Amino acid sequence: MRRRDFLLGSAAALGLSGCGSRPAAPRVRPCVDITRAAAYSQDIYGAMRRILAQHRLNVRGRRVVLKPNLVEFEPESSINTNPLVVHAAVEAFRELGASVVIAEGPGHRRGTLDLADAAGYFQIIPGFEDIFTDLNLDEVSRVNLQRPVSRLSSLYLPHTVLGSDLLVSMPKMKTHHWAGATLSMKNLFGIVPGGVYGWPKNVLHWAGIHQSIADLHSLFPHHFAIVDGIVGMDGNGPIQGRPKAAGVIVSGRDPVAVDATCCRIMQIDPARIEYLTLAGGLEGIEAKNIEQIGENIDSVATRFDLIMELRELRKV
Amino acid sequence: MEIDHSALDNIQAAQNPDGGWPYRQGGSWTEPTVYALLAHQAGRAAPPRIAETKIWLGASQQPDGGFKPRRSVDQSTWVTSLVALLPPETIGAESHARALAWLLRQSGMETSPFLRLGNFIRDGKLAGPPALSGWPWFPGTAAWVTPTCLAILALKQDYRRRPTNGLRERIANAQAFLLSRRCADGGWNHGSARSLGYNSDSYPETTGQALVALAGADPSRLPESFRAAQGFLGQQRSSAGAAWLRLGLLAHQQLPAAAPLSSMPCRTLPDSALTLMAAAAERGYNVFLDT
Repeated sequence: MRRRDFLLGSAAALGLSGCGSRPAAPRVRPCVDITRAAAYSQDIYGAMRRILAQHRLNVRGRRVVLKPNLVEFEPESSINTNPLVVHAAVEAFRELGASVVIAEGPGHRRGTLDLADAAGYFQIIPGFEDIFTDLNLDEVSRVNLQRPVSRLSSLYLPHTVLGSDLLVSMPKMKTHHWAGATLSMKNLFGIVPGGVYGWPKNVLHWAGIHQSIADLHSLFPHHFAIVDGIVGMDGNGPIQGRPKAAGVIVSGRDPVAVDATCCRIMQIDPARIEYLTLAGGLEGIEAKNIEQIGENIDSVATRFDLIMELRELRKV
Repeated sequence: MEIDHSALDNIQAAQNPDGGWPYRQGGSWTEPTVYALLAHQAGRAAPPRIAETKIWLGASQQPDGGFKPRRSVDQSTWVTSLVALLPPETIGAESHARALAWLLRQSGMETSPFLRLGNFIRDGKLAGPPALSGWPWFPGTAAWVTPTCLAILALKQDYRRRPTNGLRERIANAQAFLLSRRCADGGWNHGSARSLGYNSDSYPETTGQALVALAGADPSRLPESFRAAQGFLGQQRSSAGAAWLRLGLLAHQQLPAAAPLSSMPCRTLPDSALTLMAAAAERGYNVFLDT
């Protein structure tokens, strides 16, 4: 599929109404849902169905790519997106008539399937290997960045993502020692192929981490986001932090609005996260410009500890 | 550990019509193609349709002498080290020499004089030149453990063919780079031993790779690394990790006789090839180190 086809497909899939009616243009307030989920239990399946119903995604006959965050071989920790959340999304999207693929390209570890195995994906998701693509080793094409804010002018990207009708970013809600917070936008680092750029994908660091996140967002501005904040990570995230229960799943079709909302839940000031302001501007991340449904932020806000170097990000 | 010749059959069966190999399925990539050839070398077997493979590899060489990771990528990268590990006759002596020349022109961006000049302009002070230099995955980025290990192994192969002081010094410098990136636990991860004051954990794969690349180094500098690698052997996380650990420990005669075998499946072609190469090394032939 050509890049142009991909863009048209995405627009078609997402141009339909979300929560409340949503005309294609002009810009309306993006809608973000906060759903309580106290634990990784069977209740998540029903919650995920309700979440997708809230957003009224029309994905019948569409190719949906779920992109979780797989980082490390620590199944007991809160590093990776929990497989139960991903499986619930697989089932919910299938019930809506979508064909579903799970895809990820970890940034440090090469054995992606081994990593998924250790994280419980093989155990929880029936036929996992048949619906999984390692984005580090997928077929690639070069995509030009139209107005890059980083030093990048183009990126090789995997066909599985370029050919999708809807890319669903499914990160873990975590602090990040370089970026401040890693959420649905930072999670897109995982679509950049290690087979081309290596492990880590250091080209993104040299081009500017915040700027690269913003540039990846510009390529996929309408991806859907489902953030696993049931148990996130605080402190020295995204790998060496501590589990932090926030008890929420945060979702929406505007990644900037979703990530800004997650920051508020984590008691981080989204205006101090550079990639959010680069991608959305200060106006785009203001609370008054985001339509909040489900739980309100104050009722679920949970103070995520920050390492000393990130203390200035604390929401005051 | 016996050589599993059925694994070689499976590798042969995975060959694409163009002569290259995929990671699992789909189009050919340079890395699995080289690993397939190295597995045949380890198993003392002739690769199938080698003429097509040579043509495929030849077409993957860029005008600058480096190799691209797959056809649709117009950029020489770290996979050049892997190709340079092959016997020169595989791609032809002239192509092989150009690959090595490309490799010798690469180093981590942190050693760039332009970067140092930029930092001088920004900070107002000139830092001393970085003493140690490794290799990046992708040109224009920093040096990391895996590409540095593979470059060392390729240069060592070349040094055995035509030893020069320059080559010896570059290898020694890169080995010192590896030692400087060792984690506190004695092993290696991707190359970040410490970040923001926190120690990072090492990985089995990179610990094994570093030990292979440090073959011949003073063993008195490596006991913690041997312990880390031996400790990883009991973990069952990936077949590639287990294979690299065995290759690394064997390079220093430090593989315990009762080392447990990996029970993890080989999920990619490099997994299968490395497992076969580790078995060959246990029988006395390490394709990374022996001619």
